[in-house]
Amino acid sequence: MHAIHTARPLRRMVVALCALVTVLVTACGAGDQDAKSGRIRIGVTVYDMSSFIAQGKEGMQSYANANNIRLLWNSAGNDVSTQASQVDQLINQRVNAIVIVPVQADSLGPQLRAAKKAGIPIIVVNTSLANSDAVTSSVLPDDVAAGAQEMEMMAKHLGGQGNIVILQGPLGSSPELDRTKGIESVLAKYPGIKVLAKDTANWKRDEAVNKTKNWLSGFGDRIDGIVAENDDMALGALQALSEAKKSTPVVGIDGIQDGLAAVKDGRLIGTSLQHGRVEMAEGLAVAHKVANGEQVNKTYTYTMPPITPQNVDEFYKNVVSEKDAFLQRLPQLVAQNLASGHLSNEQLNQS
Amino acid sequence: MSTATVTDQLPPPDAAPAATRRFDQTWLINFLIRNSMVIVLLLVMAYFSYRSVRFATPENALTILVAAAPFALVALGQTFVILTGGIDLSVGSVIAVSAMTAASIVVRYPNLIWLGLLAGIAVGLLIGLINGLVVSRLGVAPFVATLGTLTAGSGIAYVIGAGAPINGLPEEWGKIANTALFGVQVPVLIMIAGFIISYLVLRKTSFGLRVYAVGGNRTAADVAGVKSGQILTSVYVLSGALAGLSGVILSSRVISGPPNLGSGYELAAIAAVVIGGASLLGGRGSVWGTLLGLLLIQTLNNGLDLLIVPAYWQKVISGMLIVAAVAVDVWATRRRRS
Repeated sequence: MHAIHTARPLRRMVVALCALVTVLVTACGAGDQDAKSGRIRIGVTVYDMSSFIAQGKEGMQSYANANNIRLLWNSAGNDVSTQASQVDQLINQRVNAIVIVPVQADSLGPQLRAAKKAGIPIIVVNTSLANSDAVTSSVLPDDVAAGAQEMEMMAKHLGGQGNIVILQGPLGSSPELDRTKGIESVLAKYPGIKVLAKDTANWKRDEAVNKTKNWLSGFGDRIDGIVAENDDMALGALQALSEAKKSTPVVGIDGIQDGLAAVKDGRLIGTSLQHGRVEMAEGLAVAHKVANGEQVNKTYTYTMPPITPQNVDEFYKNVVSEKDAFLQRLPQLVAQNLASGHLSNEQLNQS
Repeated sequence: MSTATVTDQLPPPDAAPAATRRFDQTWLINFLIRNSMVIVLLLVMAYFSYRSVRFATPENALTILVAAAPFALVALGQTFVILTGGIDLSVGSVIAVSAMTAASIVVRYPNLIWLGLLAGIAVGLLIGLINGLVVSRLGVAPFVATLGTLTAGSGIAYVIGAGAPINGLPEEWGKIANTALFGVQVPVLIMIAGFIISYLVLRKTSFGLRVYAVGGNRTAADVAGVKSGQILTSVYVLSGALAGLSGVILSSRVISGPPNLGSGYELAAIAAVVIGGASLLGGRGSVWGTLLGLLLIQTLNNGLDLLIVPAYWQKVISGMLIVAAVAVDVWATRRRRS
């Protein structure tokens, strides 16, 4: 009796599912006409869709539109093997170059070798890959410098004296390791600053609130400053401080929208801007150069500019309030920055 | 069998005679066994109080409760589902979808805070309804049905945000979770109300009795005239709606909409329910047990942070404690039966 009851809705559901799959497949399969037309096709695989990547996608699209490039966009959902098969597919599609924003540093060895064999250049953006001789060029942020920069901001703010706690990224991930390294290099110069505790909040705001509240419970008024390795955790720490009715200084990294807004209204003492639109468009620009047979450097370093209450307004416009205008001039800016080597510059030369 | 498991949950019959044989040794042992989880919790609290003078303070108690509130709502929903012998893996994604739905509304219409709140809960309720119907009408195993919505939901959360967290929410959105009444933050009050209502529903209403009956033996419940399909559907709807509310609270507390919000909450909630003595086979468990399980997990998170134990060690300790707590409970139950 049970089976009779379920048979009809089940059949209906199967039909509906088939219809859905058909629609999705037709919508996504946009054909392969560019291969014949000679338009440059560049494959992209990113670790996942974070806000950094979402910005980066806008930047890349703007550069691609301006230079008649077709982007083949893939997101790996933070899974190394998904990313590996995406690179395999892009090799099979004979794209002109592949831009990889890796899930994990020590991965993709076989794929890089296959790409090299097929003569397809690989450009790595944001996280370096261990197998670097098979990589044509890399555009990498200087996370060590960013960690040092935020620690320097905090140390200056505290006058070189005081107790801090550190909110780290996911332990063992390369940006966490590098930012922590930068923080520690500066701490070595300031013997007056003591680290009461450091632990991970996995880049997340909700985890950072609870971690910080626990620390505020444990250390009470002894905490003089909070150093967070990204803005989301810095904003979580700010929330914990407001719940505890304290106004301890907090510093972050990344320059996300809410982070910049918090610098603007004086709640964060500062952050460092890693502008996805600029950095990832520059990765694409390098791939474009390589595909055109031009010479490129082996590595390009994106040094994050410090964002303080003094200069935040200008950057806030580029990232948030006037981002469309910024995207308009981005292709020109990217070309200028690759030529000058100052990758994080956001101002067009008037010439 | 179903009647046996139901009476298992009623107040212990030896409660009244106990007063007369207060110094009876077997009574004392039975008392300790019956309250083994309370004792474990008290021991953990005693240890932290001994190690840190900051642990046993009103401020820290409130810190633990505020952190516990979003988990508590999910764990309460999970309690109802697990009592029917089911499981709801989707709640982590429901939190994300609810938070993203609410955030996407209030970022566009900063005046419609209440609409964001309602939409967040409604979306949770809807996913719960889908879970419930797939489980009760199509007969798909709960583990599989809710694994499906867990996976799809985590994708939907990203679809809503076009792949990115929603930033720039109005400050008013933070008022839902950050307003304090009588010095206590609203989420804590919601949590307390949730526990009291769930306790009353499970203990004092015929619905509660039916939930236990369906979990004890569905066929027997059907024969006895319980509409088990409706009961199953309603527990998933409840779990979904509570997870939706939890998502709204989490999003409001940090005034943002991160698409990965709530990931892993389903396992934390299941752990709390199981530590509280519930059986994953259904028919056995209680709101009181879930409260104890939840407090144990949250107290550990807090206390280990106070003692500056690194996060990776915290995971090792929590994992071992979950198994140890359940092992003690299994041992105690077996001893009580024999």
